[in-house]
Amino acid sequence: MFKYTVKRLLQSLLTVLIVVSIVFVLMRCLPTDYFFTDEQQIKFSDEQKHDILQAAGLLDPIPTQLFRFYRGLLHMDFGESRRIRTGVGVWEIVADKFTVSMRMGVTAMAISLAVGVVLGVLQARQKDRLMDHIGTVYTVFINSVPTLVSYSLVLVFGARVLGLPSLYSNRNPGQSSILPIACLALTSIAHYALWTRRYMVDESTKDYIKLARIKGMSNQSIMVKHVLKNAFVPLAQYIPASLLLTLAGSLLVERFFSVPGMGTLMTEAIQRYDTNVVQGCVFLYAGLGVVGVFLGDVLMMILDPRIKLAGGGETR
Amino acid sequence: MKRKATRILALLLTAMLVLTACGNNGGSQNTPPADSSNNGDTGSGTPAPAPSNGGEPLKDLITWESTGTRELEGFFILNTEKSADLNVLCNAYSPLLEIDNYGKLNPAVAKDWSTQDGGKTWHFELRDDVTWVDVNGNEKAKCTAQDWVTAMEWILNYEKNGANNTSMLVTLVEGAQEYYDYTKNLAETNPGAAKALTTENNPEFDKVGIKAPDDYTLDYTCVSNCPYFDTLCTSAALYPVSQAEIDEKGVDNMIGMSNETMWYNGPYTITSYIMNNEKVLTKNPSYWDKDCTLFDTVTIVMIDDGTKDDQLYQTGEVHNCELNEATLKTITDNPSNEYYNQLVETRLRKFSYQYQLNFAKRNPDGSMDTNWNTAVANEAFRKSLYYGLDLTTTWARANRINPLSLENLCFTMQGLLYFSDGTEYTQRVIEKLENIAPAGGDTPRRFNADLALQYKEQAMKELEGKVTFPVQIDYYIQSGSSTALDGATILKENFERTLGSDYVQLHICEYVTSVTQEVVNPKLQSFQGNGWGADYGDVENFLDQIVYGDDSAYYAMKYTNINELTDPDTIALFEEFTRLEREAKNTFDDMDARYEKFAEAEAFLLNHALSIPSNYENAWQLTQINDYSKMYALYGCQTYTYKNWETSTVPYTAEDYARFVEEYNANAS
Amino acid sequence: MSDNKKLKQDELFRVVEYSADAAERIGYSNYSYWRSVWQNFLKNKPAVIMGTVFIFLVIFSFIALAIGKYQYSELLSDQNQSFLGPSAEYWFGTDNLGRDYWCQVWYAAQISIKLSLVVAIGEAIIGVAIGCLWGYVRWLDRPLTELYNVINNIPTIIYMMLVALMVGQGFGIMATAMIATGWLIMARNVRNLVLMYRDREYNLASRCLGTPVWRVLVKNIFPYLISVVILRLALSIPGTIALESTLSYLGLGMGVETPSLGLLLRNARNFFLDYPHLLIFPAVIVSMITISFYLMGNAVSDAADPRNHV
Repeated sequence: MFKYTVKRLLQSLLTVLIVVSIVFVLMRCLPTDYFFTDEQQIKFSDEQKHDILQAAGLLDPIPTQLFRFYRGLLHMDFGESRRIRTGVGVWEIVADKFTVSMRMGVTAMAISLAVGVVLGVLQARQKDRLMDHIGTVYTVFINSVPTLVSYSLVLVFGARVLGLPSLYSNRNPGQSSILPIACLALTSIAHYALWTRRYMVDESTKDYIKLARIKGMSNQSIMVKHVLKNAFVPLAQYIPASLLLTLAGSLLVERFFSVPGMGTLMTEAIQRYDTNVVQGCVFLYAGLGVVGVFLGDVLMMILDPRIKLAGGGETR
Repeated sequence: MKRKATRILALLLTAMLVLTACGNNGGSQNTPPADSSNNGDTGSGTPAPAPSNGGEPLKDLITWESTGTRELEGFFILNTEKSADLNVLCNAYSPLLEIDNYGKLNPAVAKDWSTQDGGKTWHFELRDDVTWVDVNGNEKAKCTAQDWVTAMEWILNYEKNGANNTSMLVTLVEGAQEYYDYTKNLAETNPGAAKALTTENNPEFDKVGIKAPDDYTLDYTCVSNCPYFDTLCTSAALYPVSQAEIDEKGVDNMIGMSNETMWYNGPYTITSYIMNNEKVLTKNPSYWDKDCTLFDTVTIVMIDDGTKDDQLYQTGEVHNCELNEATLKTITDNPSNEYYNQLVETRLRKFSYQYQLNFAKRNPDGSMDTNWNTAVANEAFRKSLYYGLDLTTTWARANRINPLSLENLCFTMQGLLYFSDGTEYTQRVIEKLENIAPAGGDTPRRFNADLALQYKEQAMKELEGKVTFPVQIDYYIQSGSSTALDGATILKENFERTLGSDYVQLHICEYVTSVTQEVVNPKLQSFQGNGWGADYGDVENFLDQIVYGDDSAYYAMKYTNINELTDPDTIALFEEFTRLEREAKNTFDDMDARYEKFAEAEAFLLNHALSIPSNYENAWQLTQINDYSKMYALYGCQTYTYKNWETSTVPYTAEDYARFVEEYNANAS
Repeated sequence: MSDNKKLKQDELFRVVEYSADAAERIGYSNYSYWRSVWQNFLKNKPAVIMGTVFIFLVIFSFIALAIGKYQYSELLSDQNQSFLGPSAEYWFGTDNLGRDYWCQVWYAAQISIKLSLVVAIGEAIIGVAIGCLWGYVRWLDRPLTELYNVINNIPTIIYMMLVALMVGQGFGIMATAMIATGWLIMARNVRNLVLMYRDREYNLASRCLGTPVWRVLVKNIFPYLISVVILRLALSIPGTIALESTLSYLGLGMGVETPSLGLLLRNARNFFLDYPHLLIFPAVIVSMITISFYLMGNAVSDAADPRNHV
């Protein structure tokens, strides 16, 4: 097990390294114009632009830059931001932002996991009856209506009808978090309900359940002790990854409600040619993704002792 | 089962509450209560005069900026030239001179300033009661003339400031270019050495034309006569920094300073900064100007673009909003709408827009687009465009109620300069322009369909056999921008409506990311619409951009490519314009004569349709702020200084604003 | 009852002579895979209804453009007519420039449907082909898994920007670029299934008998993949529409000449509070497309699973 873990983590590290290096080279292929605002683009002379880029080290040959980047990576130093917050370390910026995203994301996830799983269980228990249909309509609705539209509906309803603040504010984080969290939860509730139902329905036709019924166990304890427990295993695999990725934030929700989180950071950094921040973000996301998948496998192994990792590589 | 589920839910809810509660004490220590009745009368400032519409002045202003383009990126004013930064930082630092609401220079830290020799040397007398404070208002040091010298060294030092803010200094201040080159060479040969340099024991820096003979006197020496040097004192390049602050933080940590570590000497301190969310400015009790009106706090919330500010205004979460076209239409369509009487126009923004014709246009494959180039070198063709463009619908995109107020007839921005008798400079230019209708009509002043069709006929005759009609006009817009596409669609109709699509055809093309690399450098555009905002208070700053045979002329080098012209007539026109412009530039004893000559040159440029002025910018708004009390800076970085603003708890109405305009104009002359 | 008992054995059974012809007839089953799929699909009423709706939508988009009062290519702006609600003149109202919204919506709908179908089919072909190889050919597993991890972790926006910058914009480019990343998920699903069936006894037997790899893949394994492939295909269509609108938002869309539903939705965002019709019409069409594919995908996928056939 230990040997497997080490091997697997090393492999993941390699993947992350490759990803970051590719992104590094790709970023350098984009035009450096992004480094300047439209106004600067007009007001700066070519020479001044050249000097500024040179001072930022962006005109050195790519191998030199890449070497500098790896050297920084050795002690987890991604350098300083240039256009997001001039002169501030990348980690510092990220640390400020991810706590906000994570707090919001974890809350939304906790709610949606609870509501989603309960909804899924209810649907499975009342298969093809009213509750099931309500749940299905909900999931289909959420999945089919463009997110832009459903978020707008939440915003209009929340702000105009309920009078909730439509902007996130640190002065009033409790109340002003409600709408963004609602938007985040809306989609993931549908996701969890869908898969809980699916797995539970699959599970409840299995032979051991039939046996339990024949033995005369109550419907309720069958559902909880057998069906839900087993149906939860495949669901659990994705929980660590989604939990970790909550700190990546959500681009749309955060823009919508001015949440100062991670969601918009990477796109903004790309659009402003802030290469250090982009690399930091990509490294973080790739790392979290890989670790999340690994933790998911471990969690699944704990929940279901029949699953062994060391043998067949990662779970499929 | 159900009980368990309830219990789990309850647990999760508790967890959520705990989590959000944790957020409560994260980073909001300095935020004052947003309670407008709170009368924090601790520091400087006289009580604001009661607004004339019956309301109370606002004590805590809440305003907004849009996230995408306007978020602050750095706190060190010497290191930035971005308006997003300067709009906030102008509240944290004090300049030598300030702009007033008429756009005229007022004393600030410098109580007196003068030049004796036509702008070659400048002498400033400084106040002695300006102090540097930290974010909590604790005094750190005196602000002296030496701080401007230190700032000059910092900016010109390539290793410290990386070429930011250098452009105007190296062209205007004596020895600046040399010192900049010196540090740049030093940085290359001996990394780190330039960082160690200070103003002391630095013989190279002693050659730069800035001296502080004592703590409260400052002398600048310019490269050549520069009669407008004082207007430069409002730009970021001439703001101070204290050597003590540099020593405290260390050279390497200056650029990355935060609102909590930086030193302030302006009207406000930035007590809270949450990126992409909000900033809170709090009145600085040690601010030197004890007679001005300041807010207790100013909160700037960041919003996603779009209708958000309109919604926030309607729910009372901000004190002003710029209406987007849908909301504006809803309000104007319905006279019983509660906001109908509150619709007011913003003042013109500082940019003057023209269509810059490209005289050496290329095809996408790199070959010359001879069809366009031949056509545009023909004066009749240019004039047919000049008189044949009815841009009313284009202006109505931004201002559907009063589109004609956006008509721009000149190259220089309106209101930048006045003759000594009070005549506004561009009025003088318009007097010299041919075929311009008198002001006050209900059609555009320049548009003249008959004249345009005459020129069209003349052009078609003169160009027969040399040019294939319709002439293809390539117009480039940013891909994915719906505003740009809407604007281009309207513009296409405007080009083809009067002149006919048998004569010209506007072709809308797109660039993906970078207009410079994808369009301007390969010279693909037929014309480029662009707005120029002044860097300092002189016409030269505008007209210099389009002179012939000068590498530093921005429009000439990037958009019009006139230096590649082959048509002798057009070259002669540009040479004549350049001669007139140079002549004006070298007149610096008599400012009226100087401006008169500039007006002559500008009128020459426009009468030959070498550039086609298009529009100004403004918007419709709902507001509790009197825009006519704000600093009106057509140059420099002070527009958003929240000083002496007249505000009211009651929204202003159209009548209020009409009165403001009247009073303003009466006081102006 | 009692009469039956009295029946003699030879009345119940009699010996017939062997006839090859008759044997053939009995041994023949009229089972056809695709017919069963079709029959099973028809049993799912909601899916059939939504399928019909979708086909109707596609056909109607052509009719709509033909019967509309305005031609998309000849739209002119008129700021006095802006933001009008639906009326006899403008069936879907007008947009912010006062142009007829009806023809814009249907024109955009056609383009969006075309794009998502092209991308879905492209993804399916490449995804299945690579997925089969990935799962079946052992030495390809590691490099392809690594490739998957790498591509999956590179932000789409960086790569779309480069494509747009180097190749340009347009329908074909957009479709190709989307397929180029979209095949990954399909390939991974297929690969996991192939791994499951690869070492079943009958495949082992086939291999021992010297059947070529492609034949094993196409004849033995592929039928098991159909249901998953179809489900994935159906789900990729809403995904494509959503991705396209995000990309247009970032300026990486298909260009001015090709409006899409995503683009209309995005533009409407600034106006929908005052003029909801600008949002509702495109949103309803997008939702209809999505729901129909969602339901059809599930139904076809169930129907395509041979285990559900009688």
